[in-house]
Amino acid sequence: MSTYEELVGDMVDVLLGDDPDEVVTWAESVLEGGVAAVDFFNKVFTPAMAQIGDKFAALDIFLPELIDSAERAQAISKDVLEPIFEAEDSGAQISRGTIVICTVQGDLHDIGKNMVSLMLQVNGFDVIDMGINVPPRLALDKAKEVDADILGLSALMTTSQPYMKECVELRDGFGMKDQFAIIVGGAPITAEYTAQIGADAFGKSAVEAVEKCFALMEER
Amino acid sequence: MNHRPRLVEVLYRAETGPIIEEAAFERTLVTPTIRAAVEHYGIKFDEETAVNSDDDLADRVFQAGFDVARDVGLFCQDTSRRIVWTQKELEAGLRYCPSEVTFGLGVDTVTLRTRTPEDTNRVGIVGGAYGVPVPEEMYVPLALSYLKEPIFDSVDNPSLETVYGHPIKAGTAWEVLGARREAELALLAAGMVGRSGIPLGCVEMSPTQLGALAGASWGGYRPSDWHHVSTLSEFKVNHDTLSIATHIARIGGALEAYYNPIYGGYVGGAEGVAVAIVAGLILINQTYVAQVYNTRPNHPFYNCDTTRELIWATGLGIQALARNTNLITETLVGPAGGPGTKTMLYENAAFTLATTVSGQSAMTASHSAGGAVPRHASGLDAKICGETVHASSGKTRGEANEIVNRLIALYESDLETNPKGQPFEEVYDQDTIEPTPEWQGLYDEVREEVIGMGLPMDRMVW
Amino acid sequence: MRHRSRLVNVLERAESGPIMKEADFERRLVTPAIKKAVETYGIEFDDSTLVPNDDDLADRIFQAGLEVAAETGMFCQDTSRRIAFTRRELEEGLRFCPGEVTMGAGTDAVVARAREPEVAERPILVGGAYGVPFPEDLFVPVMLSFAKESVVDVIENATLETVYGKPIKAASPWEVIGGWREAELSMEVIGRAGRPGMCIGCVETSPTALAEISASSWGGFRPTDWHHVSTVSELKTNYDLLAKVAHINRIGGVMESYYNPIYGGYVGGAEGVAVAVVAGSILMNQVTMAHTISTRPDHPFLGCNTTPELMWAMSVGVQALSRNTNLLVGTLVGPAGGPGTRTVLYELAAYALSMTVSGVAVLEASHTAGGAVPRHVSGLEAKMCGEVMRATSGMSRAEANELVMRLNSIYGPDLETKPIGKPFEEVYDVVNVEPTSEWRGLYDEVWDELVDMGVPLDALV
Repeated sequence: MSTYEELVGDMVDVLLGDDPDEVVTWAESVLEGGVAAVDFFNKVFTPAMAQIGDKFAALDIFLPELIDSAERAQAISKDVLEPIFEAEDSGAQISRGTIVICTVQGDLHDIGKNMVSLMLQVNGFDVIDMGINVPPRLALDKAKEVDADILGLSALMTTSQPYMKECVELRDGFGMKDQFAIIVGGAPITAEYTAQIGADAFGKSAVEAVEKCFALMEER
Repeated sequence: MNHRPRLVEVLYRAETGPIIEEAAFERTLVTPTIRAAVEHYGIKFDEETAVNSDDDLADRVFQAGFDVARDVGLFCQDTSRRIVWTQKELEAGLRYCPSEVTFGLGVDTVTLRTRTPEDTNRVGIVGGAYGVPVPEEMYVPLALSYLKEPIFDSVDNPSLETVYGHPIKAGTAWEVLGARREAELALLAAGMVGRSGIPLGCVEMSPTQLGALAGASWGGYRPSDWHHVSTLSEFKVNHDTLSIATHIARIGGALEAYYNPIYGGYVGGAEGVAVAIVAGLILINQTYVAQVYNTRPNHPFYNCDTTRELIWATGLGIQALARNTNLITETLVGPAGGPGTKTMLYENAAFTLATTVSGQSAMTASHSAGGAVPRHASGLDAKICGETVHASSGKTRGEANEIVNRLIALYESDLETNPKGQPFEEVYDQDTIEPTPEWQGLYDEVREEVIGMGLPMDRMVW
Repeated sequence: MRHRSRLVNVLERAESGPIMKEADFERRLVTPAIKKAVETYGIEFDDSTLVPNDDDLADRIFQAGLEVAAETGMFCQDTSRRIAFTRRELEEGLRFCPGEVTMGAGTDAVVARAREPEVAERPILVGGAYGVPFPEDLFVPVMLSFAKESVVDVIENATLETVYGKPIKAASPWEVIGGWREAELSMEVIGRAGRPGMCIGCVETSPTALAEISASSWGGFRPTDWHHVSTVSELKTNYDLLAKVAHINRIGGVMESYYNPIYGGYVGGAEGVAVAVVAGSILMNQVTMAHTISTRPDHPFLGCNTTPELMWAMSVGVQALSRNTNLLVGTLVGPAGGPGTRTVLYELAAYALSMTVSGVAVLEASHTAGGAVPRHVSGLEAKMCGEVMRATSGMSRAEANELVMRLNSIYGPDLETKPIGKPFEEVYDVVNVEPTSEWRGLYDEVWDELVDMGVPLDALV
């Protein structure tokens, strides 16, 4: 049997390979070879995704490859791991929580928000991506409708930051403060600004956003 | 304009005012507040009286409206917040409101001034198809049917159905183009009659703020034109309307803000409409920092403002404001009847007489056939209003009441028959821009009748 | 402008073009189309030649870009449709593009003309803070630091952080009033500089269509100013942007349209960026009917466009366009370095050299420190570009390449360190609007170095 290190390398290869359908059969064959699903998730899947993230950070791969990889990883998660965890009723959870995410009103940038959305998905969150230019009321109503744990707000423009503030104010003003947390992020956003508007967390990168969402879930 | 420095404060309050759900605003705030004010001040509709002569009642309506304005404020739909003001702030807003405004350019300039009931000072007259949808090729002929009448000081525009044959899609570049097309056609028509400086009511084609902003710019509508901003019924504004008010303030444009309460809706019946007119106009003065304030209440089923209840309420609301403020007020008539009907001419004469003796500064006409039936408007519809304004100078409210009551009796039973009449192309010759002999004949008959009732439309001075 | 009659046709296509999901447009259409074109035309990045002297390469890139433009068209986000044109239509669009435009009014007017590689006629210099966020009280000083430099032909605005102390909220009346505040402050700048007709790049604070449409009106920005319409990367537009197009078109305004491909994004690496620059420019000319067409590619992590890959891509992209079209091509420099650093001056000199000999009609400076760090930009950055541009108009690409390679070797290692330098108020006396002696001293040292390297900055004609 291959070492976990080798399997991580193999997974990176299939994630970046030419055949998009190969991932699921590859993952199934690894599990059939005796690797427990939980171990696969923790020791192969997660480090492999981290390597993909590192490759993009060095621009050894470009955005299209990153997106392909995330989609393929999601296929492993949904088609292979989730059914096993459910059947085993092992308590191992694939869904870590429900997150509604969007770029706030007045801002049409989606690349950063999409990266966060992808990273959250591959890390086991159910993500409802409302897209770009989303008015505060729509975002809040959606979070309420799907009983979200977290509302993630992105802004790349300083002129859209006021809508983040408004989301927090209206959530609190309409008495929904205890229903879901709000995490904010985007190029002009800082920890100071986050504190100033009363948001619950700030992610300065896609990786940190995922970490902060895990932390928010623990607090709940 | 002296009160415009308030604008930034208005915008700030829209971001920071009390949070409330939109439905709760109307149902749990507007409705009970108006109801309580009507009771508290003992305001009661009297169906024998179309035009009120009771100054005390007018002053009570003013107090009631003022209380409502202070207690309710305006709701901003985009921020889910109320824009609220204290009693003192509203009083200061009224104390320093514009009491005189000049529109238009050069020799086509017109000045409107605040008036009081039965005041003999001149009333401005605006004629136009007021947003009635028309095809592009009919735009200029229809506009000319108003522009060629010397009785009008200003003209308002119809709405284009298309732009260069394409549908006008709100909130897009098509809206921008639609507004620019409207401006080019309106300026063309004004030039054709030698009145290029006349104030043009604009921008009709502005379902969002885009049309109003793009149309009022270099080469388009001018600061001297007569720019509009609406209020959503009841007592609501949003980022679109506030953006329009901001733009017009920055280009130094003359602004008309309007508020149209709905009879039988959240404000209640005739008494509630009268109070709502006062409250609404006080609030839009505070918020839009406009120059002129218009109202055109609406009957929810007839789409008109010429029912007995609404004529009473509109006249009374105007009296309340005219007696107690310097606001420059005006009303828009929305008859149920359309071009080619006697009904409409009676309605327009009655409404105009009632609101003019009540103290409005300008009469705006006409939302013929309720204002929404394509092509159902024509120059004569508004001309009757202009003639009524001239003839009513010097009339008391009591005299006006008698005439209005007689006129209402002539058309009242027609309102529910939806007498929308004929489209413009059937009542006007499209080449000569002259009314057909039938339409002119009807007009002349009604004019004679009205003169017979005691309105001297045939006198040479006014 | 003669080509603007196309407007209704463009808008009509945005309503009726092929329907597609936005994600598919980029991943299934743009990415493969560019990849294929790069392969077909044998385009390859060469890190030893940042200013290529290969006309055939430039022409192949042009063909590749034209092919991509015809294949992808521009995507309209609001209608989920492609605004597509046949190759013939695109060619005709290029054939009758403006080729020349007057910017500004009266004695302050300047004329931008289409150029070719190595021609002696010099480009227009736009100097400004290019959307860098500034507090209201520093707006006039920083913009004056550009307007007062005689070498600057047109100024380009900073972005206001607030309006009368309040946040500027996109798509609200605050955006409208923010646009007007920018206009009133800009008029103060050009008035104080004694250049009242000077063309002003505007409206910077216009995240949606509102500010551009409102503030370009009676008493605000003028039709003779330089109105901007962006493209959303990659190759996308939307109703806000098209509404700006319609408005500028109708007020008869001078328009700049720009497109900033992202290195390592959907367009791929250096070769893909070069092809995307060409495709994007051709499509902008067709869709926005702008007068000047600009690009400012971006490195996704360094935030600059002065890496070897991007210097190469911009040079060949501009050569492709200037050799094969009459487009008024502009490029905006985005150095990693900031005010008060030598790095930024080397980056700017390299960029100005490369772009001038590659054939830009409009040289734009500067997105200092990547263009997003509040207050990190100053007038001397644009001055450096202007001086180099004047001194090197007419220089050969081969000669320029040697200089650019030398400069790149000096600043290259610094890029990763994000040398953002100091904010404006620390490198300029904000009252007198003069550089501090330190900043002026660094500038003069680098100036002398450049003269020694063979850039004739000291020539009097």
